[in-house]
Amino acid sequence: MEAPQYVAARVQQALAEDGRTHELGIRVDIRGDQLFLRGQVSGAEQRERLGQVAHEAAPELRVHNEIKVVDFSEPGEDEHLD
Amino acid sequence: MSTLIDLRIAAVGDIHLGEDVRGQYRKKLEGIEDRADIFLLAGDLTRHGTLDEGKVVADELRGLTIPVVAVLGNHDYHSDLQYEIAAELRDAGVVVLDDDGAVVQCGEHKLGVVGGKGFGGGFAGKCASEFGEREIKNFVAHTRYIAEAWKVALKEIVADHRVVVSHYSPIKETLEGEPPEIYPFLGSYLLAEAVDTAGADLIVHGHAHKGSEKGMTPGGIRVRNVALPVLRRAYGIYCMGESEHF
Ligand SMILES: [Fe+2]
Ligand SMILES: [Fe+2]
Repeated sequence: MEAPQYVAARVQQALAEDGRTHELGIRVDIRGDQLFLRGQVSGAEQRERLGQVAHEAAPELRVHNEIKVVDFSEPGEDEHLD
Repeated sequence: MSTLIDLRIAAVGDIHLGEDVRGQYRKKLEGIEDRADIFLLAGDLTRHGTLDEGKVVADELRGLTIPVVAVLGNHDYHSDLQYEIAAELRDAGVVVLDDDGAVVQCGEHKLGVVGGKGFGGGFAGKCASEFGEREIKNFVAHTRYIAEAWKVALKEIVADHRVVVSHYSPIKETLEGEPPEIYPFLGSYLLAEAVDTAGADLIVHGHAHKGSEKGMTPGGIRVRNVALPVLRRAYGIYCMGESEHF
C-alpha cells in the first residue's frame, strides 16, 4: 500500500497543477481512508473544483472538504508610515 | 510636522481573477479615487495566466481616475502569456513594470515606482547559491539579475518618494505563517539587499497568501505583504508624508 504521505503529496500536486484549480495553498491530510482538505479560497466554485480534483487524484479515499470560502471587506483604516 | 497632504498608496496582490468573478473586484474598488492617490498591484492577478483571465483583470482596472501600476506574479506566467497579459493591462491604462521603473505624478507628489515579479532563492544564511548544477545556478542568477535591475532603476529615478512593487518577498518576516520549508520559493534576500543599497520608502509584495502583513528590511525599509488573503480587505492604504520639509 502506498504510504499516506505520498498520496497526500500526489493530491496536493494535483490541486496545484490541474488546470481547473491551480491552487497552491491547500493543506492535504490523510487519516486512514479519509482525506481532509483545508485552506482558504475566494469562491465557492473553486472550493468545489478542489474537492473534485482531490477525489479524482485519490478515488479510494473519502474527501472531507473543509476549505473555507473567505470574502474580503472594504478597505479598512489607512496606515501612516512615518 | 508636514503641512502638505500625505501621499496615499493603495496596494493589493494576489487578486487571482477569472471569468466566474468578473465585475466583483471592480465593485470593491468603488471610491478608491477618494481614498488613495495611486493603486499598486503586486502580481498574481490571474489564476492560470490565460489571456481570458488577463482580459478580466484589464477590464476590472480600466478607467480608474488614479494611476494604476502593476507587476505580474508567477501565476500570470503559467501559460507563457505574460507579455500578452501585460499588453492587455497597458491597453487598459495600467503601467506594468518589468524590472524597471516609472515616475508617476500623484497629486502634488512625484512618486517613483520600481519593480517586477521578483523571484525566490531564500534568505541570508539559508539560501541557494550560484554553485553546482546549471539548474541551481540559473535559479539564483535569475534573482540576482532582477535585484541588479531594480537597484539600477531605483538609482536612476528622480522623485519625491520611491516605492518598490514585487510579487515575491524581499524578507522572511512577512512570510510568517507559511511553512519555513518553502521560504526559498517565496522570496529572496537579494531583493531586499538591492533596495537597501539604492534606497526606497516602502516595498509592497504578495505571493505569500498565508504570510503576515508587516515587516522591515535589514536597512529599515518598511515592507508590506499585501496579498489579498493576508489583508482580507480589497486593498491596503499606506500614507507617507513629505520627505524633506518637517
Ligand atoms: Fe498568489
Ligand atoms: Fe504567487
